[in-house]
Amino acid sequence: MWWLARRVGLSLLLMWVVASIVFLALHMVPGDPAEMLLSTGGAMPDAYAIAELRERLGLNRPILEQYGAFLYGLTQGDLGTSLVDDYPVSAEIALRLPRTLELILAGTLLAVLVALPAGTFAAVRQGGAFDRIASSLAAVLQAVPVFVLGTLLILVLAQWLRWMPAGGYVPLAEDPMRHLVLLSLPAIAVAKGLAATIFRMTRASVLDALSRDHVRTARAKGLTPQRVLRRHVVRNALIPVTTVLGLQMGTLLGGTVLVEYVFNWPGLSTPLLRAVEARDYPMVVGIVITVSGLFLLINLAMDLIYAALDPRITRS
Amino acid sequence: MPHLTRRTLFGAAAGLGAAPMLTNPARAQQRPGVIRMGLSAWPPNLQPWPSTGASAGTVKMLIHRRLMRFDEKGELQGELASEYSRDAEGAWVFKLRPDAVFHNGEKVTAEDVKWCIEQIAAERSTAYYRTQMQQIERVETPDPHTVRLVMKAPNVTAPLWFANYNMAIVWRGSRDMANAIGCGPYRVASQERGTWIQLEKANNYWVPGLPRTPVIRMVVYADENLRLAALQSGDVDMVEYVPWSGMAAVENDPRLKLDAQMGPFMDILFNGTRPPFNNPLVRRAVAHAVKREDIVRVAFSGRGKPIEGMPIVEGTPWYDAELAKGHAYDPERAKALLTQAGFPNGFSTTLLATSQFGMHKDSAEISQQYLAAIGIQAELRLTDWSTRVSAGIRGQYDIAVHGVSADFNDPDGLTVVLDTSLSDAHGRSFRLSTPRTVELLAKGRTEFDQAKRIEIYKDMQRAALEEVPVVALAWREQGYGFDRRITGFTNLPGALTTSSGALLEFAAFG
Amino acid sequence: MRRLWLPAGFVALIVLIAAAAPLLPLMDPVRQDVANRLVAYLPGSPMGRDEFGRDVMSRLIWGARSSLAVAFASAAIAAVIGTALGLLGGWFRGLAEVLAIRGADVVLCFPPVLLALLVVTLLGPGTGTLILVLSVLYLPGFIRVSFAEVLSARSQDYVEAVRALGARTPRILLRTVLPNIAGPVLVQVSLAVASAVVLESGLSFLGLGVVPPTPSWGLMIRGARATMEQAPMLLLWPCLALTATILAMNLLCDAVRDVADKRGGGGAPKLRLVDRLLPGLFPAPAAPRPLLDVQGLTVEIAVPGGIIRPVEDMSFRLDTGRTLAIVGESGSGKSMAATAIMGLLPPAARVADGVARFDGEDLLRMPEAARRKLRGGAMAMVFQDPMSSLNPVHRVGDQVAEAIRAHRDVPAAKASAEAVGLLKRVGIADPDRRARAYPHELSGGMRQRVMIAMAIANKPRLLIADEPTTALDVTVQAAILDLLADLRREEGMGLVLITHSLGVVAEVAEDVVVMYAAQVVERGPVSQVFANPLHPYTRALLAAVPDGDIEPEGIPGVVPRPDRWPPGCRFAPRCTFATEACETPPPLEEVQGQAVRCVRWRELRA
Repeated sequence: MWWLARRVGLSLLLMWVVASIVFLALHMVPGDPAEMLLSTGGAMPDAYAIAELRERLGLNRPILEQYGAFLYGLTQGDLGTSLVDDYPVSAEIALRLPRTLELILAGTLLAVLVALPAGTFAAVRQGGAFDRIASSLAAVLQAVPVFVLGTLLILVLAQWLRWMPAGGYVPLAEDPMRHLVLLSLPAIAVAKGLAATIFRMTRASVLDALSRDHVRTARAKGLTPQRVLRRHVVRNALIPVTTVLGLQMGTLLGGTVLVEYVFNWPGLSTPLLRAVEARDYPMVVGIVITVSGLFLLINLAMDLIYAALDPRITRS
Repeated sequence: MPHLTRRTLFGAAAGLGAAPMLTNPARAQQRPGVIRMGLSAWPPNLQPWPSTGASAGTVKMLIHRRLMRFDEKGELQGELASEYSRDAEGAWVFKLRPDAVFHNGEKVTAEDVKWCIEQIAAERSTAYYRTQMQQIERVETPDPHTVRLVMKAPNVTAPLWFANYNMAIVWRGSRDMANAIGCGPYRVASQERGTWIQLEKANNYWVPGLPRTPVIRMVVYADENLRLAALQSGDVDMVEYVPWSGMAAVENDPRLKLDAQMGPFMDILFNGTRPPFNNPLVRRAVAHAVKREDIVRVAFSGRGKPIEGMPIVEGTPWYDAELAKGHAYDPERAKALLTQAGFPNGFSTTLLATSQFGMHKDSAEISQQYLAAIGIQAELRLTDWSTRVSAGIRGQYDIAVHGVSADFNDPDGLTVVLDTSLSDAHGRSFRLSTPRTVELLAKGRTEFDQAKRIEIYKDMQRAALEEVPVVALAWREQGYGFDRRITGFTNLPGALTTSSGALLEFAAFG
Repeated sequence: MRRLWLPAGFVALIVLIAAAAPLLPLMDPVRQDVANRLVAYLPGSPMGRDEFGRDVMSRLIWGARSSLAVAFASAAIAAVIGTALGLLGGWFRGLAEVLAIRGADVVLCFPPVLLALLVVTLLGPGTGTLILVLSVLYLPGFIRVSFAEVLSARSQDYVEAVRALGARTPRILLRTVLPNIAGPVLVQVSLAVASAVVLESGLSFLGLGVVPPTPSWGLMIRGARATMEQAPMLLLWPCLALTATILAMNLLCDAVRDVADKRGGGGAPKLRLVDRLLPGLFPAPAAPRPLLDVQGLTVEIAVPGGIIRPVEDMSFRLDTGRTLAIVGESGSGKSMAATAIMGLLPPAARVADGVARFDGEDLLRMPEAARRKLRGGAMAMVFQDPMSSLNPVHRVGDQVAEAIRAHRDVPAAKASAEAVGLLKRVGIADPDRRARAYPHELSGGMRQRVMIAMAIANKPRLLIADEPTTALDVTVQAAILDLLADLRREEGMGLVLITHSLGVVAEVAEDVVVMYAAQVVERGPVSQVFANPLHPYTRALLAAVPDGDIEPEGIPGVVPRPDRWPPGCRFAPRCTFATEACETPPPLEEVQGQAVRCVRWRELRA
């Protein structure tokens, strides 16, 4: 319990550090929220209008005062409201975070389902035809940027064949079938990069595990090859794969920008990008705090899973 | 070595991978009574008077009414005003339509118009037309349906102001300006911030038979390729800003129609506060250095037209074939001008543009190459859009490539681009001294005689060709793509193209 | 090293082409020619022209410079700094750990695009900024990987040993720890290089990458995407270049890891092809059918360059209830012979010749399924290192129960109970509790007892113990040997004991087989062989044995490397009695129940 409390405390500290860095960095970079808002679409606003809007948004206060106000809000659990339209930051996050999570989970699931068996099989038949083909395919997947793959998928499936809608989102409750269809392409795009990584990681880990002495022991017991593979090779190889997977999933939280953009998936990355463009400080900081909090949570969960997978790990 | 059969693995993989592909892609069907439109950007907010971009403008024009509007040919006509005129004392008088009512049931009166103008002109206003409204000395309301505007100085184009999409007339009791009460054909029925917005017919809209389509659902597709794909795959019925590379595909699609107009244009801006670009000779050298056709071909896939003078539309009375060639591509002349300016060997400088929009980046890359050809070595500074705006307003650049649009098709609409005496803005050259151009623009604004105006604006062009407030590069097409069955919608000509969304009121299937 | 050449050459080629771009007869990569925009082929432009009419091939090669520079520089910077931080954090723990790991967490908490946006907006876009952004993005990966590896390396024997010798910390980190964590770090490098180029294109797509008109693969991909329908080849070229680079990097890093990794999966011993075969000598069969009868067993390993034989023409017999010891120095082939009999040869090796009759049935030609039924059932094996031979992630009770259920259809609960009984049987105190322990929670001796419990779970008739006591303390060794002897007696099994300790042989075994360089050099009853050793090698072994149990060091020289076997008698170079006669291969001769492979045994006996 003490261990958990320490971890939570540390996480909160980290979130504060991250939020502060983002807050200060955002105020340092060129660009001004009032200018941006009034210049939307190339309009050329009056200098007085900009000055007035700055005043109204409280941007003329000293930076430390703004920082203090932001921290105070944070302690009240208040992430503030958007500078653009006064929309509560927390409401925006509550709406969009689940969609990003869904996308990441679907992508991860897809990647794991494909890459784990493929990596295992490639390792078991190291140097075989499957190994070579799968390894090359993984390199191709790594090489084709997600925005190219996405555009290609849409070009072929939506524009040429008209089998699929060209991106977008429909809530699950509204139309489950269409929801899943719309989810499939971005999930494939998310899975693309992840699958290549998991494949390589699994292949390496299984190769490593196969050469371990305890695998020989397992065979000496007269276990069937399937059981040896499952219980003594894959089970052990999962440990490093899990670490990488956890890290990757954490990174994906704010890293689905291109996928969301290309497929018009209204997740959390889009408002983050738009908020940075608009220099919508509260929205950026709010989203980053959420993302980092979730990242730390995933980290914690991964540590627990890791400990469950590898009995040698003790929480010291 | 453990053995695993290939079959087991492949079997499992196939079973998992195939599932989504085999399903019937339950695609959204077009329903009667609904037009689904793909927007290029989310309207940041719907406050009636501050400018928040063309996408917001489209929505604002549908939920609100202005005093004036443009018809499908781009001609100015009354919207809330049934007629308008200039009285003997030089004041503008607008007669309001008596049947107009706000969504809350209140009648639209002259008092509402007065209140709006005063709000926009207020000292602490953030409205786009604040400066213009401040040129109105007072607003008189002789009767509930008459508004009389007494101007501080005569102004020909004042009625055009009231057709701008940031000039909505809202109920004077409105306090929450984000949800100001308007009197347009639609109201916002539902929306998801950043994703879609659904407009539905306002129950008490006061023009019989309008709007023709009860529901307009606008979905944001930020990626232009995806926006086009959504149109082609039938996910939406209409899109704005068809990407230039995809215009041919829309034209060739038997189900679709492309309506494109040359409206906005690309230009090069200068920083007038430091050498060498404070020297008009250097600016003229730049103007003669760039071969515009290349920009049209590369940045706009040929969907544009070179501008070799000031951005005056061909075929309008202000157009002059000779002046339109005043900045024609002529590298020899450019070099001569540079030598004359004291830079026989050229110089090094920086070229600012945003990398966020392909057309800005491409135009900048081509300009860079042609500038290098006359000896101006310009290092590209490609930034995100916010930094570009910020640097533009603060004059933190030497030259910049930019894309703009006039406010309206009258040459006074170019004031916003050419009048360097206006406040610092990212879309205007920074503190450049172009006194004659500025003076002639002001003169044209106050001259009511058409023949004299034409001469003034030709003079203005002559002055601008020498003073070079901007170097215009190319018109670009602005295209709407839509289902061929949709009627009643037109892309407005020239600078008005961004106001075309207002015509969705008249659009419907069949 | 061979496996390194191909991928290394390929990567070198790519780098070379990129580096040589200014020397190659290429068009100016930034020279625009809009008139020939998107042309698929022009003389001098075999790959056509891009959207600005620039030569694609030239841009591809020049683009490799910026793309690879960014990729390699960022991966290298991240690798050096990240590994250093991870090393320090993992070694010193405390504050260093907090700073390294939490620092990495701070970076990871940033969505990558936000990080890129902020840095690029602050510093302006460009190659330097790009390298900075990517290095920062990759840093946590390297910190984490090296941190975790250092933590595990820290407690390893070799590190402890170096430490005990009083080596200074920087030296330990650089010389001992770093080489041992090189494998995972290299994998990370290959991943980083590969993803750097892809990320570069992604950032270019968002306008945050390399500044045009400088060519880069990322910019090319970004540009080509817009004209994908008109000119799909423009997209293909940079993607192809990227794929080839990534593939080469992956292969190179895999190969480097295999070389660097001490545990190396493909650890086939490198042996030279033996020139000619020796005829197998078949002794007359004895009257009672032996439990295990091995005749002419030969194991081959295919290596690049030919085939080598780590076990050659090995023959011996074992009767029920008896103990046979196989002795020899490391590398003599004794373990390989045992694994061959068990059917557990590593994938590279195969049985080339011979028979191994277990109860009259030839194990070597039996279908794998039938042999599997015997393995762990009627015949079982105990391995040398009980730590690595037990699976660290399963409880020991479960591992024993697994052996039971592999051969008998008993319910899980009953198997578990039986496992506890077995643990008790092999002398583990408090077996109920210990059954729930993980291997790392047990002492070395206890782990070996678990291994033995696992081996005897199905009452085998044959038990092969491969150096069962080598990894253990001296005191524990005796206990384990006693246990094996007891079990043999009580269960009536035949025991093959592989060892390098003649002391053990004298204590436990009835018959002995002495091996040297893949061959049986002497064989016979222990009493007879020990009293009257015929082969000079056996003599030397006996002479070198003090009372302990250490590797015989008294024989000058070492066992020759498998690829340097002498053509004649393989022991001749180390043999004090070697003469010219020893240059022809000696046959194995039978003498009064004893066998010897030495041409001079008769003279030497005198």
